[in-house]
Amino acid sequence: MKKSVMFRLGMALLIIVALVGCAPKEKPKVTFFWALYDGLTEDFRASVEAAFNKESKDAQVQIVPVKWDDMQTKLTTAVAGGTPPDISVVGTRWILDFMSTNSVDEVTQYLSKATVDNINPAAMEAKVKGKLMGIPIAAGARILAINNDIAKDVPKTMEELEADAIKVNKPPKVYGLIMPGKSHTELTDFCYYFYAAGGNYFETKSDGSYGKCTVNSDAGVKALTFMQKLALKDKVVQAGFTSMIRMDSHPVFYAGKVGYVMIGAWVDSAMKQAGAKFPVTYANIPSFAGEKPAGLIITDSIAFFTKAKNLKAAGKFVDFFYQDAYKGKFDQLVGFPPVTLSAAKDPFWNSPLFQALNAAALTARPWPLVDNFDTLSNETWKACEKVFQGQASPKDALDAAAAAVDKARGM
Amino acid sequence: MADATASLRRKLWNPEARLAYVLIAPTAIFLVAFMFYPILYVFVMSFFRTNKLSDLVRFVGLANFIDRFHDQEFWWAALRSLIWTGSGVAVKFLVGMTIAVLLNVNYRGRKAARMAFIIPWASSVPISALLWQWVYHPEFGLLNHTLKISGLWTNPPGWLGAGFSAFVACMWVDIWVGIPFFALVFLAGMQAIPHELYESAHMDGAGGIRSFFSITLAGLRELILISTLLSAIWTFNDFNVIFILTRAGPANSTNILITSVYMNAFVDLRFDWAAVQSVITFLILTVVSVVYARFYFRQENI
Repeated sequence: MKKSVMFRLGMALLIIVALVGCAPKEKPKVTFFWALYDGLTEDFRASVEAAFNKESKDAQVQIVPVKWDDMQTKLTTAVAGGTPPDISVVGTRWILDFMSTNSVDEVTQYLSKATVDNINPAAMEAKVKGKLMGIPIAAGARILAINNDIAKDVPKTMEELEADAIKVNKPPKVYGLIMPGKSHTELTDFCYYFYAAGGNYFETKSDGSYGKCTVNSDAGVKALTFMQKLALKDKVVQAGFTSMIRMDSHPVFYAGKVGYVMIGAWVDSAMKQAGAKFPVTYANIPSFAGEKPAGLIITDSIAFFTKAKNLKAAGKFVDFFYQDAYKGKFDQLVGFPPVTLSAAKDPFWNSPLFQALNAAALTARPWPLVDNFDTLSNETWKACEKVFQGQASPKDALDAAAAAVDKARGM
Repeated sequence: MADATASLRRKLWNPEARLAYVLIAPTAIFLVAFMFYPILYVFVMSFFRTNKLSDLVRFVGLANFIDRFHDQEFWWAALRSLIWTGSGVAVKFLVGMTIAVLLNVNYRGRKAARMAFIIPWASSVPISALLWQWVYHPEFGLLNHTLKISGLWTNPPGWLGAGFSAFVACMWVDIWVGIPFFALVFLAGMQAIPHELYESAHMDGAGGIRSFFSITLAGLRELILISTLLSAIWTFNDFNVIFILTRAGPANSTNILITSVYMNAFVDLRFDWAAVQSVITFLILTVVSVVYARFYFRQENI
């Protein structure tokens, strides 16, 4: 009996070994954390994945959709757990922190020269000390969108914007201006006003490096005081703004209930998806009276993660994806002006929206590429929330934020 | 001595015991790998400075604990945790008991009513929280829409946008999800109480209230103890509702200890601080559980 059992077990083992040995060798699978930008569709994600997997003979890709607000957490967890994706969309401003833990590689070693040469040099914000640490995937200035059913005036200054917003504001049916008041991944909402007031986040040392945080400068206090006035005194922002992040508040504009919104290039495709039909004018985000025009331009990049297993195959996938047939379509869906020179030639980019985006890009400034950017973002948001909740004055809240940022950066 | 050793060996290493070890081994390995090791690692981490990827950088002794104890927000979060747990469990208990009493009465449609009360518990907590997030939406939400069209409140507030209302709104969702647990447990307990006891009490002149306190509550004593303990632990650790509805905001007004652990780890990337708060949370819950368990077993021995 025992012998029979042993014989059967032995045979089963042999069969398993034989089957495993004969199994076809699996192609390396590239994991790509794909940011769910407004305007991107699941069909498009699936079509890119299927097209590469069909065409590629020696690699496969798995494109993992991730909500933008969850991206940094998911990525940090994956990297900390020793299982990073091969490639991921990252905010370019996160790259220095990833570099400080040796988590990302120079991308040029994995990409073809043709792909790198096709990138607009102006979009290569992730070039750190001469090394390209992320290939740009999206770059776009932020603009002011105006619902012409509600508002006709194009404000030239922040003060005019306030007056125009007050003029059209008739809550709860119509609001003057969208303002997200709940902390989320992006620091954009404070930054619009901060840059408009001529603010800089850090002192710049003589060698070009960043010194102490200056978010609490006069410009910072002016910006946050102005936001406080719009929201709490003028009451021109959408109801419940302190419970809304960008994703919650922009749909109120798409629903045709708001005169003005500071927004990105996705506005057109997001409005179409929401079924919005009202006419829109696009303009530069205005500066405060007497200040130079200065909007915000944001770039995101694709980074290659050092500890991942299939980086060469990942490079092949990026080469594939950056062909106009896919990257061009991606740009059109998301609405960001193309970062590739070839896709920029498409007549699609001659629309009024992209003319406005190009005009805004001329005077726009990027985020500071600085270590501990997440601390800067979180602490500034905390300051805004405290002011909106009436727990601190703009000056006190921003002083606390600057102190926390300096502490995190060891200053 | 030799006999005792041999006897112990026979007890622990006989064919039956060996089979038991083999059968237990997978579960034991699983528990060690996925429960005990992470818990131990968090304890170790709390004594180290970590980097942004949670790697242990250097030993700092109790510095992380001292750092946390000097942070006002830690104490606020601890206080909110107490209010959150105490009020939440109390309301769930009272409403759950009331519903159980109502469902225990014989009437037409009782089965349908029971089903209706189970629904919040049957759906997952994150899905319930997401649903409520939409209900609370200031512009498109059902709550404000109803208030507006009914004329009760022409310009209702954003419930999740101000500190106090956000805390209450989150607590309501936690209560809404938790009530059916109490109702079902108490209902099951009530149905196990012999009906003759009520008849005897009635014949002795006891009224409904007296019967409720002397028979129903007395009969449910053990169930009340264990269900309250479980609910307290679940409520204390209820991360989903707050995270989905408010992400611990606005301005930390809904930040309790368990959300604070997450915010420290994954927003501020201070894994060492998160480890300290996890250790403190673990110790608080362990003490509560031990005290409760001792009380419970002492009651049983009586």
